[in-house]
Amino acid sequence: MTQQPEAPQQSDTNPVEHTSVPLDAPETLTTEIQPSLPRTEVVTKQGQKLKLLSRAEFMTLLIGGGATFVLAATLSQPLDTFAREILRNRPTEPHEGESPHRWGMVIDLSKCIGCDYCVWACQATNDTRDDMRWNIRVEDQTRLGTTFHLTRPCLHCHHAPCVEVCPVAATYHRADGLVMMDYDKCIGCRYCQTACPYGARQFNWRERTDENPRVPDFGTPEIPRRARGVVEKCTFCVHRIDAGLARGLIPGIDEEATPACINICPVTARYFGDLNDPNSPVSRIINTHPTLRLREDLGTDPSVYYIPPEGLL
Amino acid sequence: MAANTNLQLQQSVHNVPPTQVGVKKTRFSRLFLIWVGFLIVLLALGVISALYVLINGLGVTNLTDELPWGLWITVDLSSIALGAGGFTLSAAVYIFGLKRYEAIARAAVLVGLLGYSSAMIALFMDIGRFDRFYHPIIYWNIHSVLWEITMCVVLYSTVLVIELLPIIVESTPLHRIKILHKVAHFVHYLAPVLALMGMALSLLHQSSLGATYGILTARPFWYSPSAPVLFILSAVAAGVSLTLLVTLISGKVMHKEMVPSDVIESVARLAGFACLAYLYLKLWSWLATNYYSKVPEQQLGADILSRYTPYNYTFWFGEVVFGALIPAMFFLWGRLRRNQNALVLACFMVIAGLVINRWNMTLSGFVIPLDWSPGVGDIFPVNHYAPALVEWGVALLVIGYSWLAFTLGVRFLNIYPHARPLDEYGHPIDTPDKPTASH
Repeated sequence: MTQQPEAPQQSDTNPVEHTSVPLDAPETLTTEIQPSLPRTEVVTKQGQKLKLLSRAEFMTLLIGGGATFVLAATLSQPLDTFAREILRNRPTEPHEGESPHRWGMVIDLSKCIGCDYCVWACQATNDTRDDMRWNIRVEDQTRLGTTFHLTRPCLHCHHAPCVEVCPVAATYHRADGLVMMDYDKCIGCRYCQTACPYGARQFNWRERTDENPRVPDFGTPEIPRRARGVVEKCTFCVHRIDAGLARGLIPGIDEEATPACINICPVTARYFGDLNDPNSPVSRIINTHPTLRLREDLGTDPSVYYIPPEGLL
Repeated sequence: MAANTNLQLQQSVHNVPPTQVGVKKTRFSRLFLIWVGFLIVLLALGVISALYVLINGLGVTNLTDELPWGLWITVDLSSIALGAGGFTLSAAVYIFGLKRYEAIARAAVLVGLLGYSSAMIALFMDIGRFDRFYHPIIYWNIHSVLWEITMCVVLYSTVLVIELLPIIVESTPLHRIKILHKVAHFVHYLAPVLALMGMALSLLHQSSLGATYGILTARPFWYSPSAPVLFILSAVAAGVSLTLLVTLISGKVMHKEMVPSDVIESVARLAGFACLAYLYLKLWSWLATNYYSKVPEQQLGADILSRYTPYNYTFWFGEVVFGALIPAMFFLWGRLRRNQNALVLACFMVIAGLVINRWNMTLSGFVIPLDWSPGVGDIFPVNHYAPALVEWGVALLVIGYSWLAFTLGVRFLNIYPHARPLDEYGHPIDTPDKPTASH
């Protein structure tokens, strides 16, 4: 490679101007002018070829880069608004139709004595087996070391993970907030069981041939048994709510329109009603008592509120 | 047995006059019959198990409401991942212009189709209402990753069948039917479009399979943005490895060079880089969720796993060291890569590592119990699971089906268009009378 330290400049805009640096300097660059090409090639002392930008290329990059920057700056605000809008309106849980109601439950853990009546009334009414209870009770400890009884129906989350993951939309939201199952659609893949943070779903592993041990002491079955191979769950006794509303009854106040677990509680630790109605029993309690919901950190927005016992909050 | 095989095959090569080498033999070797017989036994055991499950329901498995997915989901996830060679190598040929990979692309497509059909068998067995297997196609929930996966698997399987169609037509008497011949020709013309569709569909669902676990906020072991990407990277590594493995083993058994050795080496390097990419993300995923994390739930989960399960060991040994690190070295170190036995070993390790990963991923998430109580007591028991005999039986069904189908495919279809028989020194013989590839 011939080095031309004092090569004449083809154009005065050539960015390589520092050719007067002594050749023996290690970083010295020399230019090799190719008259036919607007691009200039630089050869380092080691013989490495480097390409320099022409003025046109430089301007293109400058304008292009600048335009990109300006575009990004102008777009970032609308894009952010757009993204937030998507997040706010993300249709994660299609609520079907419109309803003035949102059904909810309040369970007073400071009152609950752990008698299991609500568990058994649910079993009788909804005809569930002992190992497939929709409403279960567990015993846990407060920070004070005292025992409390926690009953857990389906929490009918407003953002229900089970509804989001179901591949056939067999589980869905009603407009009144209930998370429902369409037993005719369910394929029994059990992804909803995997996704539910509360273990509130039961799968029909076997054909049901058993006798219900809670019948008739705690009620009689009001809905048909589910088929083998589908997932089932608590419905807030939706059949009572719908039938009651049709007759002008108020769920949560009139027993016939109220879930079985609410009616049977001997210590009135359970309340039911419309969370949208400020005068419903549930709304009044929630407005006057400290309440918690299970795993609120997950953002599922459950419809079941708990009044904590001492030492839990 | 292998030595015996070699002897037998060498003898058969010697006995056949040179002009007839490469002409289809109608006689089956004893080894072939024993192997096929063995696979038919597996298949029969599998069919019996499957019928037992179909009649009695999923209650005969060891699955529970707390741990509702087990061996079959592992089989399903592994099969789909191991079928990923199909889209990877088709994309290499038709989208990235690596024409010489064509020598192995057909095998990749066959492996892909067998992987996907295996997955569909496993999924079919795993749903409670077998009679409603088609429901995802009718009742859409576009928010569900599982719905998206089902649709992609169905669509991509269709693509694979179309891609395989010309091979079946040209290798069987079907090519005498004029219309089929024309259709096959047209499909070959469509190959780049099919490869593009295959890649798009695969990129979607291979990662969504990881998202199946990755999006579940309630399970801290699973909930992570890396899960989808880890799934697709490991699928590419293992899918390519399986394609390589079956190619090398078929070549050994049939005493042929199925694919030119430079293509084998190049594909092995591809698998090696996929392993490295997988390891890189896996390292950061582990660092973020274990080493740097002080999130109590993650700590507790890791604690439970190390106390009650061997999954911490199977993670490091099965998934990381033997499943990716050592095979990556094998694939990328020229001297080992040129050694076919080393390659076979490396491919096997990657595949085993992938299956272990899918098992660990599924089981670990379920073993750690959900804790939804606001109390402080330790009231939720750790979940346990070991597959029931009948679950293993159904796994045999998948193995028997896919291995038998591949064996028959290699034997009767023109899966390796560039295959050349080997002479007694193991060098490929050129057979000018045999068409090298039919385009």
